[in-house]
Amino acid sequence: MTIGPEIDPKRAGALPFVLAWAVMLMLAGVSLWTAFPGVGVWAPVVQYGIAALQTAILFLLFMRLKGPPSLKWVFAVSGFFWLLFLYGLSMTDYTNRQNWPPIYYPNGPSFQNSQRGP
Amino acid sequence: MPDSVALRPEIQYANLEQQGDTAQLGMWVFLVNETLFFGALIFIYFMYRMTYPHEFAEAAQDAVLWCGTVNLVLLLTSSLTMVLAINSAAQGERRQMIRWLIATAALGIAFLLVKGYEYHLDFQSKVVPVVNFETKAGEGRARQLFWVFYWVGTGLHAIHLIIGVGLVLYMLLWRIRQGKITAVYYAPLEVVGIYWSFVDVVWLFLYPSIYLVGRS
Repeated sequence: MTIGPEIDPKRAGALPFVLAWAVMLMLAGVSLWTAFPGVGVWAPVVQYGIAALQTAILFLLFMRLKGPPSLKWVFAVSGFFWLLFLYGLSMTDYTNRQNWPPIYYPNGPSFQNSQRGP
Repeated sequence: MPDSVALRPEIQYANLEQQGDTAQLGMWVFLVNETLFFGALIFIYFMYRMTYPHEFAEAAQDAVLWCGTVNLVLLLTSSLTMVLAINSAAQGERRQMIRWLIATAALGIAFLLVKGYEYHLDFQSKVVPVVNFETKAGEGRARQLFWVFYWVGTGLHAIHLIIGVGLVLYMLLWRIRQGKITAVYYAPLEVVGIYWSFVDVVWLFLYPSIYLVGRS
């Protein structure tokens, strides 16, 4: 895999990395803002989406996943593959449980209420 | 103190480039393990958060938001200084490399100091399960589960960061002083940089899980 001069450590200047850092800080600001009223139930989706985007920037630029040796991709992708495998197998248990996830009661303990029976 | 010494590859490698590539791949294999390690922790968090959404939202309000946010900025900035140190090493700018590495270690230590202060505040707020925990009137007992995750998650992350700071100091006080990090061979520094940014990635997911829950 070829590596662009903008991130090749032998030739790279500071600018691309400083810009990427500024974008990540800006995204962190957006993530913080979504924690307060205004975004509602979508807040966690936006927050973890931003975390994933920041992770992609760190992996590709700062950890130089983009660049030789290409075999790095095999390990990086396998990590996420096995993670999905772990999550998928674990979810086979949880999705087959009765009363899970429990119904959300905004003004009271959630689990206890859902266990009161039919 | 030598600026550089003539380096030879270890006997099993044809050249330094191959040795460096192998070192990088070794770190990526290690990070696969780390991904599964922290991934399982985050999975359990989500399961409990879905089971006890009310209690988690309630418990998270006691997390010290400013500490978590300051630490996020510190870590993102330290990833920048680390990558600039690697670039300086690759371009043979020894003094710049040392400056950026000192900045990286300082940011890592600053993170740990803020974290330590936050732990102090947590102890005062009585949110340390088993040791010092106060269940307030009308609050569910599952609130403790959030704090168990908090202490396990941030504790493991802090241990990783302490190791990272140790590695940066090892580079500064040993490898660079001996002239073993040069423009020809800087793979050890690159490997430490990959590890450092991964520790940053872990915090990117701990941050919304701990500090941004139940604020609205």
